[in-house]
Amino acid sequence: TIHFLDNLMVVTQFFVFLYCKLLWRGLKFVVRKFTGRCELQRICYNNKHGARRTLKIESSLRYSKNELLQSALSVHPDKVEKTIDDVMALKKINPDTNPQLSISLQASLLQIVGYRSLVAEVEKLRREPYDSENQEHEDMLMKLWKELRPDTHLAGRISKQWCEIGFQGSDPKTDFRGMGLLGLHNLLYFAEHDKATALQMLHDSLQPKHNEINTAEWEQKNLDKAIGFSFAIVGINITDLAYSLLVSGALKTHLYNVAPEMPCLMHFQQTFCYLMQEFHRFWIEEDPSDIMEFNRVRSKFHRRILRQLKNPDMALCPHFSASDLHLVNL
Amino acid sequence: MAAAADGITNKQGAVAAMEPCIRHGRGANGSTVKVLECGVCEDVFSLQGDKVPRLLLCGHTVCHDCLTRLPLHGRAVRCPFDRQVTELGDSGVWGLKKNFALLELLERLQNGATNQSGMAEDALKGMGECIIRCDEDESHTASMYCTVCATHLCAECSQLTHSTRTLAKHRRVPLADKPHEKTLCPQHQVHAIEFVCLEEACQSGPLMCCVCKEYGKHQGHKHAVLETEANQIRASILDMAHCIRTFTDEVSEYSRKLVGIVQQIEGGEQIVEDGVGMAHTEHVPGTAESARSCVRAYFADLHETLCRQEEMALSVVDAHVRERLIWLRQQQEDMTILLSQVSTACLHCEKTLQQDDCRVVLAKQEISCLLETLQKQQHQFTELADHIQLDAGIPVTFTKDNRVHIGPKMEIRVVTLGLDGAGKTTILFKLKQDEFMQPIPTIGFNVETVEYKNLKFTIWDVGGKHKLRPLWKHYYLNTQAVVFVIDSCHRDRLMEAHSELAKLLTEKELRDALLLIFANKQDVLGAVSVEEMTELLSLHKLCCGRSWHIQGCDARSGTGLHEGLDWLSRQLVAAGVLDVA
Repeated sequence: TIHFLDNLMVVTQFFVFLYCKLLWRGLKFVVRKFTGRCELQRICYNNKHGARRTLKIESSLRYSKNELLQSALSVHPDKVEKTIDDVMALKKINPDTNPQLSISLQASLLQIVGYRSLVAEVEKLRREPYDSENQEHEDMLMKLWKELRPDTHLAGRISKQWCEIGFQGSDPKTDFRGMGLLGLHNLLYFAEHDKATALQMLHDSLQPKHNEINTAEWEQKNLDKAIGFSFAIVGINITDLAYSLLVSGALKTHLYNVAPEMPCLMHFQQTFCYLMQEFHRFWIEEDPSDIMEFNRVRSKFHRRILRQLKNPDMALCPHFSASDLHLVNL
Repeated sequence: MAAAADGITNKQGAVAAMEPCIRHGRGANGSTVKVLECGVCEDVFSLQGDKVPRLLLCGHTVCHDCLTRLPLHGRAVRCPFDRQVTELGDSGVWGLKKNFALLELLERLQNGATNQSGMAEDALKGMGECIIRCDEDESHTASMYCTVCATHLCAECSQLTHSTRTLAKHRRVPLADKPHEKTLCPQHQVHAIEFVCLEEACQSGPLMCCVCKEYGKHQGHKHAVLETEANQIRASILDMAHCIRTFTDEVSEYSRKLVGIVQQIEGGEQIVEDGVGMAHTEHVPGTAESARSCVRAYFADLHETLCRQEEMALSVVDAHVRERLIWLRQQQEDMTILLSQVSTACLHCEKTLQQDDCRVVLAKQEISCLLETLQKQQHQFTELADHIQLDAGIPVTFTKDNRVHIGPKMEIRVVTLGLDGAGKTTILFKLKQDEFMQPIPTIGFNVETVEYKNLKFTIWDVGGKHKLRPLWKHYYLNTQAVVFVIDSCHRDRLMEAHSELAKLLTEKELRDALLLIFANKQDVLGAVSVEEMTELLSLHKLCCGRSWHIQGCDARSGTGLHEGLDWLSRQLVAAGVLDVA
């Protein structure tokens, strides 16, 4: 009996292998002959634009046998148009009879290569350490202070006041270690474009949890139990979250749905704003007993976002308040 | 004195007539002390107290103590010797008269005895205090000296011998003023010695008379008058005596102190005045005793701790054994069930084999289902068998704090602390994944397990942000080691690190924890060296009395990290036990 079972296993595996290698391709061939459309055409016609279409096109191109189609994924953005023409020629599709196809394909391919370049751009920013000699960096930091604390004068570049907006020490520089300039860019974008939420978060982080306990009690508790989270380093942590979502490819769903053509840094920064808003809400929902639960809450939040991004129609659009809306050009 | 001695001999008869008797006669040299004893208890009478002699009506003398013990007959006692009755007054035994004659005798005897025993004659002669007997009558003590007759006399004999008119003119002086006798020169018998030779060569015999000085062997020698010379020497002796007195005072003071110290060490009864001013004795423990009790308490404590630890360790082993046995029995049961399932399946198959073709075909579905489950089970079994090593051994290791650990890997709980940006998380990830990454600020904590040699470190990396530091204490419980990370290239924050470290070391829960200090970022130019850091943070003083180690490291390349873990493992594992595992 055992021998028989072994044989059965081997046979099943063989059939799966056969399907992958031959039958799938055969099936494709048959369908192609039957409908008179190639796979790319079918994808474009059967799926509405956005993540559904682009994700399928991406996987179709990746698993293609043809070198041209494979390399199309990593083509330079400027050469996308030419590549599309080549693909049309290769697949013997008449551009005149299928005018929409070329446009759809081009948009999708732009999204795909745009995502790649966005990853590269974000990575470059992340790797650029904060440099206190660089005036540009310094200006950005000062601007961040002004946005978050418009009424308070900053006593000096190195000051305990930085702790008020949630940096760890008197010099914010050390906190930008892991995320480099990306953290600063994100924080600044959030503070500039979603000022209401940013100030609300900052306010909450300095206040007793949900105003449940009175101030005196809070002062008392604050001494041995830090309840609120610190705005700036939470921002850096959420930047890390957004970064890992981007690098793992999970953000594709969102960006392919949101960006009409190439996604750019602004899209990423808006995603960051969304994540900050959502995390703030999630933190309050979770009602952790103290800040030490941060990593638990964070990983739970991460799982939730990943689950949401499995849905191809998902988009992580931030809800900007009316006053901030004019700054946003989605 | 002599009179007193006479008194004794005279009264001998009277004393002998009384019941108390003189047991020891006066010895030839007077060294034996005469004693008078009570006829009942045979104890020596004393001048006062319990042993005071009291007279009974019949004339017998009994000591006070014995009288109080006599049985009372109404208000009277009977004499223990002749049973005559003596009435007692209101004050009882205390009302009876003391035997004053006996008391006087006793007193004299005691005085005589002390004098007698003090009469080591040679010694007394040197002191010039010897008793000089009267030249007229041996039994009298001389009290004066006749300068003319050169005789020692007592007052009585002086009156007697110098009664004639001529003799009465003799100048008699008290003994103390008796002039010194003039010594005569051994060479010139008629001349008294009057001078002292001052020559170096004559120091062996410096005394000379006027003949020796003028014509004899000391002719022309330098000399001084005997009396002045003698007075000079006397003065110097007096000086010396003074010196000696102060010296003696010092020595006796010192020895008194010694006695005090000895008493303090030995302890014992001491008279203490209480609040009301009443003196009473109290037992004061000496330092020796307190030291001993200190040692005893320490070892009792140690013993107790050891017992507790042993119990805990045994319970750990018991729990392990119990769990393991339960698991093994469960496995046994599972295997039995599996075996029976397989055999049922085989039976079924065999039955099917023997049936006719139609039935076989019909049974196909059932059989394939059966085979499938079997296959699944086999798969599970092989997986299980691969995973589990059957080994009856229970390897036991001990940590230095006497915790027992079972299994090849010893688990150790470590908490990593330090200021923000010191590199705690970086070190953790370097140890975990051996890769350097710039971390983001830790909010809350990270926890990872790192396996190193035969140790399994559970490292809790707690954020160093100022606001989080009060929360560090929640991570102290059961922590066997603290890793304190310091940023070596940030000189101005060293003092902040120092104060945090000092705070840590006062924590009760970390009292027994090991302390490993990582001086991180040693690769950066201008970093504070390990030696300088030890000096700057005064670590020797700060960490006095606990096992600690400072290790220079650099999380970027990982240098020094494993040395630190090595130190931890050496400290944690009791010496020599590791080989057992």
